[in-house]
Order: sequence, then structure tokens, then C-alpha cells
Amino acid sequence: MSGEEKWTRAEMLAVAGSLQVVDGDVTVVGLGLPQIAALLAQRTHAPTVRLLLEIGVFEPVPAEPAMGIADPRMWKDATAFASTLEVLGVMVHGGRVSLGLLGALQVDQWGSLNTTEVEAPDGSRRRFRGSGGSNDISSNASRTVVIMTHQSRKFSEALTFLTSPGRRIKEQTRATVGLPSQGPCAVVTDRAVIALTDAGAVLESVHPGEQPDTVLADTPIPLNVPAGGPKETPAPTATQLALIRTELDPNNWYTS
Amino acid sequence: MAAMAATAARPDRVVSLREIVADIPDGSHLALAGFAITRNAVAFAHELIRAGTRGLTVTQVFGGFETDLLAAAGAMDCLTYASGSIDRFGLLYAVNRAVLDGSLALSEYSGLALALRLHAGALGLPFVTTRSMLGSDLVAPLVATGQAAEIESPFDGAPCLALPPLHPDIAVVHVDVADRAGNAMVGGPVWSIPETARASRMVDLVAEEIVEVGELDPSRITIPGLLVHAVARVPHGGHPTAVYGHYDFDAAHLRQYAAASNAGGDALDAYLDRFVRGVATFDEYLEEVAP
Repeated sequence: MSGEEKWTRAEMLAVAGSLQVVDGDVTVVGLGLPQIAALLAQRTHAPTVRLLLEIGVFEPVPAEPAMGIADPRMWKDATAFASTLEVLGVMVHGGRVSLGLLGALQVDQWGSLNTTEVEAPDGSRRRFRGSGGSNDISSNASRTVVIMTHQSRKFSEALTFLTSPGRRIKEQTRATVGLPSQGPCAVVTDRAVIALTDAGAVLESVHPGEQPDTVLADTPIPLNVPAGGPKETPAPTATQLALIRTELDPNNWYTS
Repeated sequence: MAAMAATAARPDRVVSLREIVADIPDGSHLALAGFAITRNAVAFAHELIRAGTRGLTVTQVFGGFETDLLAAAGAMDCLTYASGSIDRFGLLYAVNRAVLDGSLALSEYSGLALALRLHAGALGLPFVTTRSMLGSDLVAPLVATGQAAEIESPFDGAPCLALPPLHPDIAVVHVDVADRAGNAMVGGPVWSIPETARASRMVDLVAEEIVEVGELDPSRITIPGLLVHAVARVPHGGHPTAVYGHYDFDAAHLRQYAAASNAGGDALDAYLDRFVRGVATFDEYLEEVAP
């Protein structure tokens, strides 16, 4: 917490995630906080962002919170209802998507993602959703941004399962593997913004109230620090917080 | 000789849901077409569970409530999917548990890759290629089981992944409205419904409503009746999932199911006994869940 205006960590994450969206982006969004970040961008600095949902929805403008991309509330005021082959095929694989906003269970220093399965310290396995369109988006979108909460167990140099490829895949470049785009450009968490480059991950900014050293300690991947230290992420504005609280997530499903 | 009238005879494909299920032997390869909490063929899944059908292989691009129900009832031996959840209500807990305990063999793809396998099946293509999944851990188990091959493009040498066509035995799709010949409309987004139906050797439909041939606008048909084997009318047959233009999902019921599925064991058995095995028809289930 910082300043006069108080916010939750998830609200800070939604705001920092929204700042990765550039006006005019053609964006495929995943379930959860990516959805809130994209809609916040649409209502603030990126009014012409075009959203796509892998279920086959073009350019929705949802007016009320949704339980996921299969919730018809998320499809409101769409310009076209189509198919997965049209969104993940024509738009994503066809090279027409500039930004993917994705969630993850686990991420490495190149932005490769695990959304499939994790291993507990006792060796037991837990399974989650799998890829869906995540692999297609990470493989083919011009750039992707990972949006997730910041816990040290979610950062690993050796993913339990590599669902979606990052900027390097097991020491290979994307071009060598056969992937067309640069891939992930940032991991945005509720504590920091980590830029992903071909030279590795960089702690670009920490959120207001966070100490760079403690963030670094909780991020167990190779992480470079810029000369002069990381910047401070801009604090949420009153406008952004009001939008989240009154329109995008009034029931606190995502940002409590 | 009298001229033939300018109206063709159209086969009547209307049957009961029970007749559709009776035609599905143990061990069939089913293709399902629901997506998480939307347009699941729930009435069909209930009837299949009541019939005691076992040993199914299920292909579904985006698994959902219906997939988890079949896993909960132990009806599935193999599942091919790209992902599965019941959106924010939870994960496919029964599916995930069965995968981890080894009772359910899982083949996993990206959403596009599996849709492309069905597309190849639909068109009779020898195989289809993609850049998706390259470099990921999804590839090795598929290559090892003959479900994918890493190749170079014969045109420019670029690395790509070749995927064989997929031909499920029977697709079951929940549609808005069909005519008596099986020409069917699906409103809203259609995700992988078109290629899921077209790849399958047989297509069965569950429809909210059935009308006479000629009443539907041909330009709005999602699945042509010529591909359809049978259609059964079950109003509200997607409950508790949403059917766009007809009804919303039932949040309270999905929460109740998610809790039972997550708990597993007796809690999940009690759910199935009360809502699936303990009722004779889907109408009885709808009475049971009505507030």
C-alpha cells in the first residue's frame, strides 16, 4: 500500500498489465486477470485495442464481469462470432495478432510457460487446464505478456512442463525451433514488471512499496538489474481503480 | 409419364435421446463439442452414464462440464484434448484425478493443433502441418505415439509439425434448433464445433427445438443434415452450462458440482446418484435442480 489511494496487489497487477497494451493492438486474451487488464486498457489508454477470444469471438466489449471466456457475458457487443480455426488459425497462426495476454502457473527466464502440471515439494503432481490456445498464442503472436501473481515457486529455470515457448527454448532460439515471432516480452506480476529480452530477463520496475532486493529474492530465475536499479511502476490512478471496482470487477472475482 | 414433383423426399432423422445412446457401443470414439461452461451435451452425457456405457475414447478440443461428468462416472479410458476447465468454477477435477492415477490415458495438444487434426479428418487430408507446439513438451509424447511427426517443409526446409487426420466414430453436438432432417443451427461463437462434427463418421445432435424441413434459413445452417445420423429434442439439455440465446449457466449448480468433483469419492458419487443415476430422464433432473 502506498500514497493516499489504497489498492490491492491484484488491482496493481491489473493496472500494470493494462499498461503493456498499446492502442491499436490486436489482442488475444486468456481467462482471469489478463481479461481484466485488457478491458482496463480498452477503457483507458488503448480505446482501439481489438480483443479476440479463442472460443471464436471478435472484438467484444463486455459490459459486466464474466466467469471466463466461455461466459456469454464476455462476448457482448462482438463484431463477429466465428470459430477457433478463425481466431487461433487465421488470426494467431496467420500472424495477425500483435499481443497475447496470458496467465501461467510457472514461468522461466525466457518467458516459456507451464499451464499444464506442477510438482509439489513432496513429489506429488497437480494438473491444471493445459494449453488451450496458450501454446498457439506464445508460438505465433508478435509479442506476448504473462500476467500472474508473484510467488517464488512460480519462477523456475526448469519448468515441470513447457506448455508454451518463450524467447529461448532449451538453449535454442525461436528461429531454430521454427517459430515465427519474437515471443514473450514481459512478465507482469503483482510486485514487479520483468522485461524479457534475447539477452535474458531484466527487473524493469518494482511496484510502489516493493523493495528490489526482496523482489529479487523471491524471483529464483536469472534476473538482470539495470544500472541504477529498477524503476518504480506507476501507481494506479483513481480512474483506473474506480473502473476496476465499479465496472470491470465489482464482485472482486479477480482483484480482491 | 407424370413429372416428379419439385420437392425432394427428406429423411426424418428425429429419434429419442435413449435411441441415440443405445447406438453407441462400449469402446466407441466419441467427439464432444462443449466448451467449459457453454453448450455442453449434458442431457446426452447423463443418458450415456445411465446406460452404463464404458471404455470410451473422447476427443474434445476444449473440455468442460460434460467431460468431467464422464470421467466422474468412469466411462472414459482415453481423452484427447487441448485443455479443460469449468472456467472460474474450477478445473476438471475428475479428469485430472483419473489422469494422475493412471485410469485415464491423456493425449494433449494446443487448441489449434487439435482443431487442425479434426479439420484434416473432415476434409480427408493425408495430414496437416503447423508451427504451433514446436519446441514445447507437448510434442514428444505425441511423436512417441504416432500422433505427430517433426518434419521439414518440402518447399523451403522450414521446421514444422505434421499431424495426422482424426476420425472419431460419433460426434455429439448440442444445437439450438434442427429441422427433422438434421439441418442444424448453432448461434454465437462456434469454437471447434464445425470440424468436430465434420471429422466424425457419424453425427448425432441434441436440439433445444426441432422444426419442419424448410423452416430454417439455409444460410444460417452450421451443420448440414446430410452429415447427421440422428437428432433428439431435449429442451434445456445443456443445463447447467449456458446455451447462447437460450439460457445462462446455472452458477449455483456448477459450484455444487465443482465442490463434489474436487472432493471426489463419496461426495462425487452422491452427486451422480442424486442428479444422474437416481433419475430416469433429463426432465426429472431438471425438476430436481429447479429452485
